[in-house]
Amino acid sequence: MRKVVRIASWLYALAVYAFIFLPVVVLVLFSLQATSFPIPPFTGPSLRWYDAVLSDTRLTSALVNSLLVASISSLAAVTLGFLCAWGFARFVLPGSGLLRGLITLPLTVSYLIIGMGLLVLFNWAGVPKSLLAAGIGHVVINLPLCFAIIYSQMGNHQINIERAARDLGAPEWKVLLLITVPVMAPAIFAGFFLSMTFSWDEFVISFLLTRFGTTLPVEIWNLLRSGLNPKTNAVGSLVFAVSIVLVVLFELTLLRRRKA
Amino acid sequence: MSSSANKGRALPRAGSALPRAALPWALVTPALGWTLLFFVLPFIAMGFSSLTAHEGGAFTASNYSQFFTNPSYWQAMVNSLQVTAIVTVISVLLAYPFAWILAEQVPERWQRLALMLAVLPFWTSYVVRSYSWLLVLAQNGVVNRALTSSGLFAEPVQLANTRFATVTGFVHFFVMLLTLTIFANLKQLSPSYRKAAADLGAGPVRTFLHVVLPLTLPGIMVGAFLTFVLCIGDYITPQILGGNNELLMPQLVMMQIGRRGDFPLASALSIILMAVVTIAYLACARWLKIERA
Amino acid sequence: MSAKSASTNPQSILKNHLHAACAATALLLGAGSATQAADLNALIWCDHADPALLQPFEEANGVKVNVKEFEGTGAGLAIVEQSQPGDWDVMVIDSIDVPRGVEKGLFEPLPEDKLPLADLFPQVKMDGSTVVGGKRYGITEKFGYNTIGYNKTKVDPADMQSMAALTGDKYKGKVAIYDYYLPVIGMAALAIGKKTADLTEADLPALKDELLKMKANAKLVGEVTASQTALATGEVDILVGGGEWVTAGLAKENPALDFSIPKEGAVLWSQSLAMFKDSKNKDMALKFIQYIMSPEGQARLATSSCYWGMPANTKAALTDDQKKVLRFDEQPGFLARAQAYPAPNADLDKKMQDMWTEMLQAK
Repeated sequence: MRKVVRIASWLYALAVYAFIFLPVVVLVLFSLQATSFPIPPFTGPSLRWYDAVLSDTRLTSALVNSLLVASISSLAAVTLGFLCAWGFARFVLPGSGLLRGLITLPLTVSYLIIGMGLLVLFNWAGVPKSLLAAGIGHVVINLPLCFAIIYSQMGNHQINIERAARDLGAPEWKVLLLITVPVMAPAIFAGFFLSMTFSWDEFVISFLLTRFGTTLPVEIWNLLRSGLNPKTNAVGSLVFAVSIVLVVLFELTLLRRRKA
Repeated sequence: MSSSANKGRALPRAGSALPRAALPWALVTPALGWTLLFFVLPFIAMGFSSLTAHEGGAFTASNYSQFFTNPSYWQAMVNSLQVTAIVTVISVLLAYPFAWILAEQVPERWQRLALMLAVLPFWTSYVVRSYSWLLVLAQNGVVNRALTSSGLFAEPVQLANTRFATVTGFVHFFVMLLTLTIFANLKQLSPSYRKAAADLGAGPVRTFLHVVLPLTLPGIMVGAFLTFVLCIGDYITPQILGGNNELLMPQLVMMQIGRRGDFPLASALSIILMAVVTIAYLACARWLKIERA
Repeated sequence: MSAKSASTNPQSILKNHLHAACAATALLLGAGSATQAADLNALIWCDHADPALLQPFEEANGVKVNVKEFEGTGAGLAIVEQSQPGDWDVMVIDSIDVPRGVEKGLFEPLPEDKLPLADLFPQVKMDGSTVVGGKRYGITEKFGYNTIGYNKTKVDPADMQSMAALTGDKYKGKVAIYDYYLPVIGMAALAIGKKTADLTEADLPALKDELLKMKANAKLVGEVTASQTALATGEVDILVGGGEWVTAGLAKENPALDFSIPKEGAVLWSQSLAMFKDSKNKDMALKFIQYIMSPEGQARLATSSCYWGMPANTKAALTDDQKKVLRFDEQPGFLARAQAYPAPNADLDKKMQDMWTEMLQAK
């Protein structure tokens, strides 16, 4: 019986892994296609499409834009989220439950609707479309996430350390910078990292709120509209590779921290 | 939670630049202000816009009445709900056993790696992920090649440009997401529950049904709700994979913007979509509370 | 939108309030997004985004061309309305829709003496639309046909001489429909024996029947790329609304692709360039239009990576191979049998789009 369960488990897990990896394998394989259509038969390997991607200034500048928007908006989201979580966790505020509900409300709303709302608002207010506008949208979607993560990790032992620091006469800003931030670092880091991921990959808000300079997902969308070609595979594979490197680095720093 | 916070507050403080009562507000106001300015206000603007006419800008309810009177608009919502329901159910059914295997059958030291591998394709770009499925499912794609060359089918099957393709693209993403949340949930279960059940004479099946499953249900609900919200609002997946053989709500919204620049109608449709999500939220609200550890 | 002039409607009242409330934000954001004065801002279709087309102009004039793609004329005009005056310099627009932009007071008359009008195919100048009140506001740059594109090794080319093949059983499940409502509605009109220029609301039920019959045969309804790809990769054998814009660019990859102009006729698509009245860079905008209309610019535009099409200028510097692929020499015969896009007013346009939505939703 045990054995049957075990074998069945293995087979099932393998099937799910195969399902999960099927599109990735096809994506990467046909990025090496030598001819113009990324469908069988495989004619590669060839690096011509990678060459095409790297010499396409629209794609490379979109990549830089994406990195800028992701890092700055995540920084803003995690800062606002952290301060807010600290405020709610440390102090009793009137209507606290309601206000926390308000902060986390955007989590339950589709990106499309958030983007639409900002688009309508910005249109009426005469705010031009720009990367900054898209960045504002990204803070809206990531702020509640950062808040929720950090807020949920603020436990009593951290309060005790802070109290000790205050008892020793440390002013509030020192407590914040020297005690709370370091103690909360894993949660802050997790919030930042998740925000980066979501912002980096976000399409519809950027699509609606940018004009000329836009982010990578939107530029990939434009590329897709200009034909089914292995260039899209190549840019997808490159993004995948970069992301994997980042994830592994993240894992390693986290593991080191845990061991230390 | 409030007792310790009270104590923190009661402490005397020296050398603060801000008056004592103002500090907490100074901390929470930026985030609250941001949410009000860039989330609540846009929503109000959208509500306002949805009540105006596309040409001329006069007050009208016609954007809403169109949705209820035009069967093809209405159909978009029905399609969206059907697809979302199918995707949510299939994703949970696929992900739960998978997460269980990772948590129970895989040796402890390999679990982290196994989980990492299971969510790795998550990091391909979101637009590219749907596109990859198009390649996989195409008439001459790898799946059809395998089916025809293995002799299972004489003719290639139409997989791409169908609802099946849309659902597959969605399920792929949400299986990864749900595996993550359910795995975390299973690992949080204290082994003592299971031991206690076993000590009381329950077999593995009964232990699972009466102890493990009920205890992981809240986690499943959170994951299912997340799936619902993300799925029903997604434009890219159906647009790339569905072949426009039917329209879902986000496609209908984007069509109003893309073809005619009709923001009032797009706003009205967005608000209707949001109302549906809110109903779903209320239905599972009791599982979705964010609490401090 | 007329909201700009009428200050009593709710939209503009709210707008005024929001202006005050968001002034600071706007200032901040505006500073972050201001484009350089030397840039040329163009509202375009995807064929103009090709670096092979833009780069020679940018290098020759030391200017950066910013491009923004849009789908339909309605959406393009909406983008302009949401922008500040002077944000845009040039626009690509369906020739038949030029009057819509003129009506809204957006366009600047073009100096006819500085443009190669005499070299254009006379049938595509479309003065009925591009000249309003005696002034020229648009110049046709590229054209082609929405007709039947097909793979000649998979279908009988003789069948492609009649639109009846599109709704018959023989090619059921082998058909894709190009996802743009105007040309395909135009084709449906030809199929039921109506002139595209004369369509009224009374024709909609018959048109809808025809569209639904096409949909019943179709495997997918796709945009420029999706439909191109479907035909090129063998997903389908026939593309309703296809033409040289699909087959020419893919000729190298798949020489079996071809198009026909059936006995009922075909729909002529024609895109024009227009200059904005509020452009801050009119000299450069004119230079850009002149470049696109020049024999070199015309050749690059005609063979752009997004889609190929016939250059409007008969002197376009195309190679013989390219001319053969585009069937350059057969144009007079094609043009004689083609009719322009339907040009509905705002009300009929909305009804046509709803009809299109209904077609998409039909099972």
